[in-house]
Amino acid sequence: MRLLALAMRNLKETYRDPLALGFLLGFPLIFMLLFGAIFSGDTLPEFTVGVIDQDNTMMSQAFTDQALPMVPVLSVTTYDDADTALKDLKFGELNAYIVIPPGFGEQVSQNWQGAKADITLDMTYDESDVMISEQLITIINEVTRAFARIEVPVTVNAVPIHVENQIDYIDFIGPRIITFGLLILIPTAARPIVRDKEKGFLARLLTTPTHPVDFILGYSLSMVAITIAQIAIFIFGAWLMGMDIIGNLGLAFLIFFLTGLCSVGIGMVIASLSKSENQAEPLAWIFSMPLAMLSGCWFSIELMPSYIRAAAFAFPYAHTIEAARGVLIRGVGLEAVGNDFLFLIGWAVVIFAIGIVLFRRSMRS
Amino acid sequence: MNSPKDDFAVQTLNLSRKFGDLTAVDGIDLNINKGELFALLGPNGAGKTTTINMLCCLLKPTGGTARIMGHDILTQPYRVKDIIGVSPQETVLSERLNSRENLELIGRTHGVEAAELKSRSQELLATMGLEARAKDQVRKFSGGMKRRLNIIMALVHNPQVVFLDEPTLGLDPQARRAIWEYVVKLKKEKTVLLTTHYMDEADSLADRIGIIDEGKIVALGTTHELKNSLLDKQTMVIQATGITPQAIEKLRSKYAGVEATGDTLVVSHKQLGFQEIVGLLHDAGVAVHSAYMKEPTLDDVFLNITGKELRE
Repeated sequence: MRLLALAMRNLKETYRDPLALGFLLGFPLIFMLLFGAIFSGDTLPEFTVGVIDQDNTMMSQAFTDQALPMVPVLSVTTYDDADTALKDLKFGELNAYIVIPPGFGEQVSQNWQGAKADITLDMTYDESDVMISEQLITIINEVTRAFARIEVPVTVNAVPIHVENQIDYIDFIGPRIITFGLLILIPTAARPIVRDKEKGFLARLLTTPTHPVDFILGYSLSMVAITIAQIAIFIFGAWLMGMDIIGNLGLAFLIFFLTGLCSVGIGMVIASLSKSENQAEPLAWIFSMPLAMLSGCWFSIELMPSYIRAAAFAFPYAHTIEAARGVLIRGVGLEAVGNDFLFLIGWAVVIFAIGIVLFRRSMRS
Repeated sequence: MNSPKDDFAVQTLNLSRKFGDLTAVDGIDLNINKGELFALLGPNGAGKTTTINMLCCLLKPTGGTARIMGHDILTQPYRVKDIIGVSPQETVLSERLNSRENLELIGRTHGVEAAELKSRSQELLATMGLEARAKDQVRKFSGGMKRRLNIIMALVHNPQVVFLDEPTLGLDPQARRAIWEYVVKLKKEKTVLLTTHYMDEADSLADRIGIIDEGKIVALGTTHELKNSLLDKQTMVIQATGITPQAIEKLRSKYAGVEATGDTLVVSHKQLGFQEIVGLLHDAGVAVHSAYMKEPTLDDVFLNITGKELRE
């Protein structure tokens, strides 16, 4: 009976807290809907591939204009020279580019006539996302084999952008883990404010001549210090685990820092909307977990449907992963990640402005 | 430049606060003089804390306004916050800071300079007997110690007006007495508005008392004034043996209110003759062991006005 009484009490506590109940019942639903949308078979991922046709035969043109675009997951762009394609690859515009070497048309013609000639293609790919690059190598191989009507695999000389560095899984996962870590700053930033609110410490401070901006910046400043320390530890940890840092570390740090600011801002907004820790925690998690999944912390967003990708890029974290991969793995500079950088700055400014307005409003109430 | 309204440290003008249909504070008009220790006495839920919250600009009134040292709480909240110190009903401290750090935090929010803050913190901690524990995190403090720190946090920036909301709530008698001693020292130095539901606290500390019930001030005056309002009726308590129905009847023939419970007789009337009653009982064969005139208490005042006991 005691056991039942305790169980009933706990159920009543949950049932009578709409936010907790919404979290408990809504979270699985949101997760399933999001997972379902991301991995539903109705929509296909899209890989951007550049083609440089050095063969310039009817056969190579047919391969470029007809065979490759027939593959639904490929979006094909032709280039005149490899340097431009390489730049786009480094800037994240392409997932890979293929060079059709001279003699390709001849090799295919021979195969069509029954002779067994080797088919060779050169492919340069972005190794910063192994989920994509492995699939792309297979796809290119398959489509070329079908086009050339041969049984044996085509020789695809697949070369990553940075041949001088051996890209490991940690290089691929590193920026994503750091971004996920920065997403966790959302509940971390919300917690001290709602705790002070709930325990009355904030009310006590509100009897002093402190202004709302002082409050939000005071809380933020402490979180900024924590953010900086966290990023430093994350990068150091990733480096210890063998992550290569090809690009500018300072720029990568700045990208992560802006992301951290966005998380702190979201945390402030959640804290302003919540009356207690019991309300803020579920709100923060219900926001950060799906966002982590949506933004590509666990799966490449290139593998997700286009509308999910569009939704992901409305938030900072997909931009962070894109930009951090560009800087850390592809070694690009600000000119390549400028848009992501500006987006992060804009997001941080807007979310802090919203935070101040909401905090001021919550103080009045 | 002082205007007439500046003569009062705290002045409320039809101050009201509603929460939905509930009227927590109902048109309070109060004038508290500078340097006065004013107690707002009332049962739980009477509207004391809501009044304080409005006066320290935490809560906006739904009607009326108030002025603190001439500054309007609605239009000049930051001027008000500059000159007040608030000790909330709940003990609200930053638990992982030590007592000095807690004091310095409040001092800094009020813009007190570092050197002054240091000496003032030192002085306040010494006054409250917390000096030895100045460097301990306050989460390790006893309830009484936390309460004392809670109070001096309201004083660290040397405010002109201090609000003490139930400063001794839940404390043992010894801890209460220590706080009372300190509050008495504040008299004349500062204007203090203290809320309490302990009548002995209001009785022994306050220059004037406002009795509040259901959001309204139902009585106002010094403790003597309030008690004297009941002097139209005197009460005498007698401990005696051999109380007979005849003796009681004899008393009732002269005094209307006579109650007998065991060996105790309580006689109430507009005017009582002490010697006459003792003589009358003696003549009726009652052995009187003790007799005294009962002073009215604030509880009696409250009971007389509201028909309820303050402890309710």
